[in-house]
Amino acid sequence: MSPRRAASGGRIDRARTIRFTFDGRAYTGHAGDTLASALMANGATLFGRSFKYHRPRGVLTAGIDEPNALVTILSGDVREPNIPATTVEIYDGLSAASQNRFPSLGFDIGAVNQLGGKLLSAGFYYKTFMGPVVGPLKGTRFWMFCEHFIRRAAGLGSAGYAADDARYEKMNAFCDILVVGAGPAGLSAAKAAATAGHRLILADLDATLGGSAKWSGETIDGKDAAGWAEAAATELAALPNVRVLPRTTVWGYYDNNTLAALERVADHRLTPGKGEPRHRHWTIRADTVVLASGAFERTLVFPGNDRPGVMLASAAERYANEYGVLPGNNVAIFTNNDSAYCAAAALRQAGASIAAIIDVRPDISTAARDLAAQTGAELLLGHAVIKAEGGKQLTGIKVQRFDNSTGVLSGEPRSIEADCLAISGGWSPVVHLASQAGGKPEWDADRQAFMPPPATQNWIGAGAFTGAANTETAIAEGRKAGEKAAGAKASRARPVKVFAPALDPHPAPYREIRADGKAFVDLQHDVTAEDVRLAHREGFVSVEHLKRYTTLGMATDQGKTSNVPGLAIMADARGLSIPEAGTTRFRPPFAAVSLGALAGERYGDLRPDRLTPMHDWHVEQGARMLPAGLWFRPQIYGDPGETVEQAYVREAKAVRESVGMVDVSTLGKIAVQGPDAAQFLDRVYTNMFSTLAVGKARYGLMLREDGIAYDDGTTWRLGEQEFLMTTTTANAGKVMQQLEYYLDIVWPELKVHLTSVSDEWAGAAIAGPKARDVLAACVAGTKVDNEALPFMGIVHGQIDGVKVMICRLSFSGEMAFEVYCGAGFGTHVWEALMQAGKPFGIVPYGMEALGTLRIEKGHVTGAEIDGRTTARDLYLDWMLSKKKPFAGSAVMDRDGLLSPSRLKLVGVVSLDDQALAGGAHIVTGGSLEQPGEDIGHITAVCYSPALGKYIGLALVKGGKERIGRRAWSCDPVRKRFGPIQIVSHHFYDPEGSRMHG
Amino acid sequence: MVEPLSPLAPAWKPGSHGNFAAGVGVVLSETRPGSIVEAAAWHGEEKKLIAAIRKSTGLSLPDGAGAGTYSGGKGAFGIAPGRFLLIDQAEGLAARLREAVAADTGTVTDLSHGRTAIRVAGPKAEWVLSKLFAIDFALPAFPVGSGVSTVHHDIFAQIQRTGEDAFDLYVFRSFARSFWKMLGHSTEEVGYEVR
Amino acid sequence: MLITCPYCGPRDLSEFTYQGDANRARPDPASTEQQAWYDYVYQRVNTVGDHKEYWQHSGGCRSHLVVVRSTLTHVISSVGFAREHDERKSATRHKSGGKA
Repeated sequence: MSPRRAASGGRIDRARTIRFTFDGRAYTGHAGDTLASALMANGATLFGRSFKYHRPRGVLTAGIDEPNALVTILSGDVREPNIPATTVEIYDGLSAASQNRFPSLGFDIGAVNQLGGKLLSAGFYYKTFMGPVVGPLKGTRFWMFCEHFIRRAAGLGSAGYAADDARYEKMNAFCDILVVGAGPAGLSAAKAAATAGHRLILADLDATLGGSAKWSGETIDGKDAAGWAEAAATELAALPNVRVLPRTTVWGYYDNNTLAALERVADHRLTPGKGEPRHRHWTIRADTVVLASGAFERTLVFPGNDRPGVMLASAAERYANEYGVLPGNNVAIFTNNDSAYCAAAALRQAGASIAAIIDVRPDISTAARDLAAQTGAELLLGHAVIKAEGGKQLTGIKVQRFDNSTGVLSGEPRSIEADCLAISGGWSPVVHLASQAGGKPEWDADRQAFMPPPATQNWIGAGAFTGAANTETAIAEGRKAGEKAAGAKASRARPVKVFAPALDPHPAPYREIRADGKAFVDLQHDVTAEDVRLAHREGFVSVEHLKRYTTLGMATDQGKTSNVPGLAIMADARGLSIPEAGTTRFRPPFAAVSLGALAGERYGDLRPDRLTPMHDWHVEQGARMLPAGLWFRPQIYGDPGETVEQAYVREAKAVRESVGMVDVSTLGKIAVQGPDAAQFLDRVYTNMFSTLAVGKARYGLMLREDGIAYDDGTTWRLGEQEFLMTTTTANAGKVMQQLEYYLDIVWPELKVHLTSVSDEWAGAAIAGPKARDVLAACVAGTKVDNEALPFMGIVHGQIDGVKVMICRLSFSGEMAFEVYCGAGFGTHVWEALMQAGKPFGIVPYGMEALGTLRIEKGHVTGAEIDGRTTARDLYLDWMLSKKKPFAGSAVMDRDGLLSPSRLKLVGVVSLDDQALAGGAHIVTGGSLEQPGEDIGHITAVCYSPALGKYIGLALVKGGKERIGRRAWSCDPVRKRFGPIQIVSHHFYDPEGSRMHG
Repeated sequence: MVEPLSPLAPAWKPGSHGNFAAGVGVVLSETRPGSIVEAAAWHGEEKKLIAAIRKSTGLSLPDGAGAGTYSGGKGAFGIAPGRFLLIDQAEGLAARLREAVAADTGTVTDLSHGRTAIRVAGPKAEWVLSKLFAIDFALPAFPVGSGVSTVHHDIFAQIQRTGEDAFDLYVFRSFARSFWKMLGHSTEEVGYEVR
Repeated sequence: MLITCPYCGPRDLSEFTYQGDANRARPDPASTEQQAWYDYVYQRVNTVGDHKEYWQHSGGCRSHLVVVRSTLTHVISSVGFAREHDERKSATRHKSGGKA
């Protein structure tokens, strides 16, 4: 058991014990621990199995850049996989599990893959499974056969099937200044900017602010760094103009200084508070952004660099100083730069012995030398680790003399015992957000790192992000950035002093140590240095190809630790410098984002329900409600025991025989007002509206600009300059937009105002031979006889004390009226009409009956006005005015649109008394398996009570020319093939005597 | 006299809800004004319309996009170029305005039934509305009396600030119940009272 | 992406509806010249760089806007009301009518 909790030290609360389970076993930790630190304190070295080879893996980092220690968090049946254990705050009741191992983490069958390493090199799957099928088990077919086993063996954790009942939420924020990262630079920027009173947001991905100050052990302004950070955080949190967002990862930098952030509101508790979301997604619009996102330490590439116990030096230091955990008792250090010497000193001070410090450089700074001396360790300059040994835990290392300028190893290898190897390959500024903002990171050879690009949006960098050599510079830069962001003058206050060793910020040029054994570049995806060279040999030399061919830099860590090592090896193979080899452009997200947070509150019901004023009445009457776009409309009002067909047949029959009523409130309604309103309607409708008398309505048809039929509806002239246009339910929004387009852009000279009044009016259509009697029984203030209310006439009156507007028009073909009233009175008027209709046997009817009645009449709706048909295809030629141009008139008679082979409207009757199906093809003969010529399709179907037959509307080639012919309905999906007769689409009362009567 | 029915009726649950143990963050209510009216001026006739509005309602609309005024149940604010939304607790505003606005000045449309007025008031009103709308609700950016036209996914909303921590939202009636439920859901975190 | 509506101020893209290329000219309604209509209805230039286009602030004041947006960077260099833009356009047309 190598790692352990030091007797004292760290920023954890040793008085508070937290109980949690990992892989079903109970553990304890302390408040302030991460899952990684708590497990290490319990002696754990093994955290997971690697992606491809199932190699044992430990913890490499102490943060979001962790490639190895991915776990699944369990919450009841809900599983959240692939969470870095280094970022999980422990809490009482936390339950986590390791991944990619079977049957257990300690004994994993998949580890046999390690033996076949040569087989599983880069491009293995492409090479094996792509390409032509030459045998029964080759190519894509072979892949289909193997996929299940491969998917099971490779990869990361698995998601569960249980619905996640956690709440996710979105938040919009606006601020003057957003500070990303609350390390020394970010805190100091926020302090400088906030004093000017600006609206400021400070976001940091950790639970407590401070960044490196929490574990650097430095002295800032005379205080220990952690205390300094805590004081700064407290001061900021108390300011009314500052919003501090801990546990918040800023993951996207978009256009117009809009940033995306994920706040893990309740991940550190077993259950969120009442109404509290688990995650909150922030969209932040900031005038200025201060990027103080720090830097990631890089690995070194040498054989066995993935062994449990090999850890980034800064992580080892952080475990010791922040969590009071010693990652090993006998630690070796391997570095190419000075920063690891601080880690060595910290680990020594925390109680570990330092076995040796191996540095690839032949010479180092005095400060580093002094630190090395403090540790009492042997200092091996000009050396490299050529092997890390051990299985589930490091047992020792082999070192050899190494010339970093040539990469040549020499001398005799030597073994050193160690249970932990702390490595440092230098630092890469976290330039992700700056790169997302637009701009190419720039290579700095001195720093061996990609530095932030010049700002292409309004951001200012500070701290390790810009390459600040030490904390003192970072704090000074932060203050300057804060002042600049606030538009304030540079403060004359004395600079903050930091007591820290004067280390050299320049690492040795990055170089792989080539010796025997697998040396990993990307630990998460098991990409080795040899894979990178293989990609080079096979021609995948561009950085983007390298990434896709080897999967280097993919998955949850997005190559945070491996980007520069991978590039360095490719550059070396190509004989180029690193910047010549290129860099990857970083895209959002910077770190994993929960899908729930992206969906926000739309998770669950997805879209709002749109309800008519009479909705509750329908539901109370047992209507089966059907979604129609966002609307809900009654499908049928079923009596107990009735089928849908029985119900709509009963409802439709009632309309033909006595009277029925349907809710038409969903129709689009647009108030068209102004001196040019009539002229405007003449331009947008195919027929005339300027000739329409006040108090009358007319059916209108609109075409698109390309001459195709668009929408239809009746428009009522309520005054000389006032019309009420109705549209179909489905096109209400689109028609409104198109009309607004015409007025704003095409005819700005017309004085016309449009206002959506769809929701102002409740509408009930009352239809049937007794409809007029029902109105006569309840309408006051106007007569409703043929004289007062002729076909397409409009009258105003009252029903039970409520003002109504009644138009006599018919969709069903019966004597029918539409009764409109203020939406708030809709149910009142509806109930009054039902009451008045009682003696006549009135029934409410739903969409099915409405559809049946209109099919019987051959009226078209969206199924026929389908975006492909013209007015002539639908035999609406009579509506195309020859007296005026209208939208679409110039192009509606192009040759192609007049072709005799176009699909045109007809009726069809089932000849075998079987129901027809919408969408079925119409063919000239043959069979289901071998259909004859396809001449069209069925658009709408019903059982017609008036005809006693199954009928439908259809679009067929030649249209009316085929009337009287026999054809077949061919429906391979629903396996139906049956004889039909093509007839006129006017099935019922073609003369219209009933509605005019 | 018949009372118009609120679209919120079945979803209207008076009392305190959500996490209100430490007090409610907002109060949600339906203001049920008697009149909600849109007045629109012809291009270039905006001043005449504003004068007609003042004459007919006593409300002085300040200059500027989205500018408005609210007091004692009467309010007005700009919703689009040359367009204003006018609210009065009393009925009959549309008819009065039609008298006052000449045909060559602009048009008047009664929306008293078509829009539902919901008030979100309390110390957490800005916080809750920020969950739903990408609008800066901070007082300096959104002063009392002024308004915005915006949208939450499919739900169009016109919002007027009627007090330092109060906002009146006008949403399409057909969406009102869905919006009300979502508002309650979003507000549970801070605790709310329906009143 | 934000579009700064001249009435509502900067708003998120999701409040707007793209309403097409603003470079095309609608022929006179009475014209039946097929080529001109064909160009108007179907022909579009795939501009690289600044592109003049219509956007409607459908989730706001509902005004149509003329937006000049770079197709390479999304940078919007100007936004104006379509109504004013087209009035200006017709005014210019009237003024320079003799010369053309």
